Amino acid sequence: MVKQASSKGTKRKKGLYWLRRDWRLYAMLAVPILWYVIFCYKPMAGLIIAFQKYNIFTGIKGSKFIGLENFEFVFGMRDFGIALRNTLWLNFLDLLFGFPVPIILAILLNEMRMLKLKKVSQTLLYLPHFLSWVIIGGMVLEIFAPTSGAINALLLKWGLVESNVPFLTNGAWWTFTYVLVGVWQGMGWGTILYLAAITGLDTTLFEAAQIDGANKLQQIWHVTLPGIRSTIVVLLVMNIGRMMSIGFDRPFIIGNTLVQDTCDVISTFVYRAGIQNNQFARATAIGLFQSVVGLILITVANSVSRLFDEQGIW
Amino acid sequence: MKKFQKVLSLALAFGMCVSMFAGCGSGSDDKGGSSSAADKTESSAAQSDSNEESTPPAENNDEWITLRVEMYDRSIAGFNVEDCWQLHYIQENFGDPNHIKVEWVPVSRWEEGTILNTQLAGGTAPDICMTYGGDLVQQYVDMGGIYALDGMLDEYAPDLKAFLGDNVLEYGQFDVGNGKEQFALPARRIIVATQVNYIRKDWLEKLNMEVPTNVDELYEYLKAAKEQNLGGEKTIPYASDLYSADPFYGWIYQMDAFIDYSQVTEEDWVAHHDFHYLLPGAKEAIRWMNKFFNEGLVTDYFGIENSDQTKSDRVNGYDGFWMGNWDAAWRMEDSFQIDLEKNVEGASYIACDAFKPDSEDKPHETYTAAGQYIFIPASVPEETAIAALKYLNWMCQPESLFALQNGEEGHNYTTVDENGIPTDLKNVDDTEDAYKLHATDGAPICNGFYYGSDELNFAASANAYPGYTDEVAHSLEISNTFGYEPISFTRTIQARVDYGTTVISKEAELLVQTVTCKPEEFDAKWDEYMNALLTSGGQQIIDEQREAYKEGAYRGSYPMAE
Repeated sequence: MVKQASSKGTKRKKGLYWLRRDWRLYAMLAVPILWYVIFCYKPMAGLIIAFQKYNIFTGIKGSKFIGLENFEFVFGMRDFGIALRNTLWLNFLDLLFGFPVPIILAILLNEMRMLKLKKVSQTLLYLPHFLSWVIIGGMVLEIFAPTSGAINALLLKWGLVESNVPFLTNGAWWTFTYVLVGVWQGMGWGTILYLAAITGLDTTLFEAAQIDGANKLQQIWHVTLPGIRSTIVVLLVMNIGRMMSIGFDRPFIIGNTLVQDTCDVISTFVYRAGIQNNQFARATAIGLFQSVVGLILITVANSVSRLFDEQGIW
Repeated sequence: MKKFQKVLSLALAFGMCVSMFAGCGSGSDDKGGSSSAADKTESSAAQSDSNEESTPPAENNDEWITLRVEMYDRSIAGFNVEDCWQLHYIQENFGDPNHIKVEWVPVSRWEEGTILNTQLAGGTAPDICMTYGGDLVQQYVDMGGIYALDGMLDEYAPDLKAFLGDNVLEYGQFDVGNGKEQFALPARRIIVATQVNYIRKDWLEKLNMEVPTNVDELYEYLKAAKEQNLGGEKTIPYASDLYSADPFYGWIYQMDAFIDYSQVTEEDWVAHHDFHYLLPGAKEAIRWMNKFFNEGLVTDYFGIENSDQTKSDRVNGYDGFWMGNWDAAWRMEDSFQIDLEKNVEGASYIACDAFKPDSEDKPHETYTAAGQYIFIPASVPEETAIAALKYLNWMCQPESLFALQNGEEGHNYTTVDENGIPTDLKNVDDTEDAYKLHATDGAPICNGFYYGSDELNFAASANAYPGYTDEVAHSLEISNTFGYEPISFTRTIQARVDYGTTVISKEAELLVQTVTCKPEEFDAKWDEYMNALLTSGGQQIIDEQREAYKEGAYRGSYPMAE
């Protein structure tokens, strides 16, 4: 009731009134807005080169408009389909295995009673997030390489395997390594939002559950999880929106030629067929295509979540 | 309290503004950089004007011109590109007499391509640009971004023209529809040798074997090295890993040895430039490698680039045989030989040619006679372009070139021998900061030390590896034997622009998959990945190169022509 009344009140006042009253807040808001306009919206004008035969010497204004030729060329390339398929597949696996892990981890961390141990494990879990992929790539080689890699060396020494486990050299095994490393790197960082959401839960709910005789598992299932449901949904929607885009570093650094058909994703494809070749217009065309599909995916995911009476992200 | 809030919010807003504009500044670095560079040009011009006034007026009242020259910055400690001995020497001996203020614009060696792109697109590129990227130059030519030098060379740079010679100059000529025109000035490459095979001399002695001269003998050596674990438990008889930037670079030597030249025409040769693996017989070189791999004679991480591991294997003495550049074993900055000797007593590498199946001479691909490309952007005004040509023309005078490459007597070397070659040219690390120099960058028209003749140049090159002079000379000789220059094209092969990098990635796949598969799968894998390579644009490139052959739009020739 209260909420409604106040929103009615808002309507009656004119926009200028709020601007005058809260101008300091608006002034502060103006800064990030300006930032977005300058660094995110203005460069969008450059997207036009996706439709041009771009010449770096004559610039955007002097380049010839060629319609969808760049798109046709890129979609016609043999590797594009493979890269698209791999992008979606790897992202799907990441979502399948990588998404639930931070939730579980956050709940586990939350249930920890020894504060010191909790703090230490939290820090240790965050740590990989701050490592550059180049460093992680080096570690992956040390650990998973054939013969000289730590795991293979041990397995061979103990006689558990007869020949190397092809962690990096066989498509399916490589996918396993890729997902494993990704989950390991991201899980700690992913817990932050969930932990914040859990901390925000009303403690009386837990007390009530305890009085009703709920054990720990039941408390988690009936109080914690429903409590952070909206956070989970928002993050899920955002993750689905990112299905089409994939970071460059991780597949590029962990990947290798032997598993080219598995590890080639859109970002590495763009780098190879666009940037390395100085084909900026084609690279832009792929980028635009990715963004459009990403926009569609996120819109659909958002609508679906709203259908299920969740908030969505807008 | 309210007042405090007001103040606080204002302070916060102000802080954000400041930090944002700081971001702005670094974000639009290009513009800032260019304007400050322009300022600098003006101020230095003004400065030189005032200099002129103070000194007795020169007879001709020429305005001073500022010439900005791209210079690689290799992050050599103590060496300041913008203020170094070479630059002072140039200013004194060339700049001042000609009323030209020479500035060197530092560009990181490892990002030169990217930076050049950005600078050219932003119109801030130096007046003299250089790059090793031949394809990049051709793309710039096609886009109309490079100054056409036709006719100007005769007038302003006759000595340069003579120094480079027709063969080298040809590599800077491109056809954009009006016949061949001179756009770029390629550097003259002193040593065109590329690769050799390296083998462990001490292992050969232990096995009582001669240096292998064909693949069967090599096989015997590799097998014996493995059986006797000559490098310990971790022996790698044939060390080889993938170079994914150009997978077949280290293979052309082997493949060329297996080609059946009686079945190859000049047209095939040109059409299959960079596709030697498709020429009849070349496949057998890879089949041998597959055999080696399956018998455990090759690095087991073949296919995973791991240069640190490769390097440590080599200096720890595990490796028995590998391919490398003619001086790879002895290079000063990264000498495998010196480190190997420290780790394994009596161990040494020698160069050899282990792929001569019929004990007949087989051609070796070398580099082209042209090194990096030097060019003037089309946006440069005519008088500056003329100044640029004068600069390069001055640079190839024997006296200037010697000074720029060798430095100053007493500082960079003690004295010269009877041939005029410095006896003890100092390493850049051992030189005083004020005299530090980079020979090839400072005199970009010449890749390698130039002392007047091939003979002297080769001798001087070997001298640069103290302690290993004979070994290096031997290696150079092997690598130069029956050398041929690779084919190149005078017009853009559009398919290569479109599919070049894709084909390279397919080459890596082809190589790795066929070497590491089981011997009985070899042919099937070869066909599978070759098919992928050809359908990813490889066939288009070959077809277009064949067209270029028919048009005569290529340089080089078939080395086995009757």
